[in-house]
Amino acid sequence: MVVTDPRGGDNPIVWVNGAFLALTGYSRDELYGRNCRLLQGPLTDAAVLQTMRETLAAGQPFEGEVFNYRKDGTPFLNGMTINPVRDAAGKVLFFFSAQADMTDKYRLETAMRHANDALERQVGQRTADLQSALEQKTALLHEVDHRVKNNLQVISSLMLLKARRTPAGEAREALQSMADRIGALSTAHRMLYPEGDVTCFDFKEFTDDLIADLAAGLDGDRTRIETEIEALALSAAMAAPLALLIHELATNALRHAFPEERRGRIVVEAKRCEAGMRLVIEDDGVGLKAAPPNPAGFGHTLVEMVVRQLRGTLDWSDAGPGTRIVITIPLSAAGAS
Amino acid sequence: MSDLREAPLRILVVEDEVLIALELECLLEDLGHVSVGVAGSSTEAIALGHRTAPDVALVDIHLIDGPTGVEVARQLSRDPRTTVVFMTANAKRIPPDFAGALGVIAKPYSERVVASALDYVAQCRAGRTPSTEGLDGFSLAPSAQAALADRVQ
Repeated sequence: MVVTDPRGGDNPIVWVNGAFLALTGYSRDELYGRNCRLLQGPLTDAAVLQTMRETLAAGQPFEGEVFNYRKDGTPFLNGMTINPVRDAAGKVLFFFSAQADMTDKYRLETAMRHANDALERQVGQRTADLQSALEQKTALLHEVDHRVKNNLQVISSLMLLKARRTPAGEAREALQSMADRIGALSTAHRMLYPEGDVTCFDFKEFTDDLIADLAAGLDGDRTRIETEIEALALSAAMAAPLALLIHELATNALRHAFPEERRGRIVVEAKRCEAGMRLVIEDDGVGLKAAPPNPAGFGHTLVEMVVRQLRGTLDWSDAGPGTRIVITIPLSAAGAS
Repeated sequence: MSDLREAPLRILVVEDEVLIALELECLLEDLGHVSVGVAGSSTEAIALGHRTAPDVALVDIHLIDGPTGVEVARQLSRDPRTTVVFMTANAKRIPPDFAGALGVIAKPYSERVVASALDYVAQCRAGRTPSTEGLDGFSLAPSAQAALADRVQ
């Protein structure tokens, strides 16, 4: 603590306590009669001093921090509170100043700031590393996606080339229908990962594409395929089995429901239901009695296997006229959105 | 399929996978078009393009000499007689200006998509404004979309 006397010319120190002597390293003899500026040095902030002078001249109390110097020349951060002491008439008699050594606080703050800067640099570096790792993985995903699609095209081309060179008959038909199944899988792959979403696909757009491929080969006046699909985003893992399933059942209906130039239509319908999704493939053709499904046939086995894989149920019934196939597929919370 | 059957298109196939190229040629023939040849590299493609001046060039992005299909498209589309259509599983590599191409057929494609895309091209070349309905698997370049919007208005 320090008391100065503004009435005594250069506002000299007239009293200090022991703590002040301990803080500064001076003796009383060296301080009394001197102005406080003997504590100042190169680190002392002139702007703070200016504010202090103006505040005190106005008779106001002042609080602030400046660097001061001990007798041995070492600096310390001096946190000061200076109050004017007035007489009964309000005239300033003394300034009473309390000091606290803020050096440790200052060091701590500086250390914290440095630590923060270092952490931010580290976080920045990590983020850049992660970003670059992510970019590499994205590039890899695109590359793999590209290869899968290209290979599907090669497989499909291979089958079709062989089919073209095989005499008309059972073998050729088998090759052709395999190529068509691969085509359905290809549609599934084409619909995956369109704009970065790797988890889901648009089931409506997917089914419309799939059915459009089937309908392209039809005489539109005789047989039609229609779709009534609710907007559903399904899990990407369901794309391939659903493609095979819908392709197989719709193809089967086209092949067996309308013999001898019979006219008709097939409707593929999908809706949400309590259990998940209800998929209906219905035709107005000759019906089950006229064309019973062949339980040993490959198509039939394929359908049953795929429904089992999707943990669904399958029901064939007479639609009078025609055949109705109802498939219920559970959708997990993650399976649809 | 359009009722207006166009004259057969003379088509250059730029594709490095020989199996895909061979099957595609068969498909083009089935659709009533004529293949003027297959090129697997960019130099071959550009040379064959200059020599044959095809109506349509179906161009894959990845060729024997790398992702050079874009440059092939740029070169071939300079000839006003040739309409370039990309045919790729790697549409992300196509630059925003489509290197002069009309659009892109996504691989894996179906026969229907190829047929309807070529039908669309034939009608465009005949100066008509074909419907874009049922053109899934075939996406138009932004400039072609803009031109279409202009004509429809």
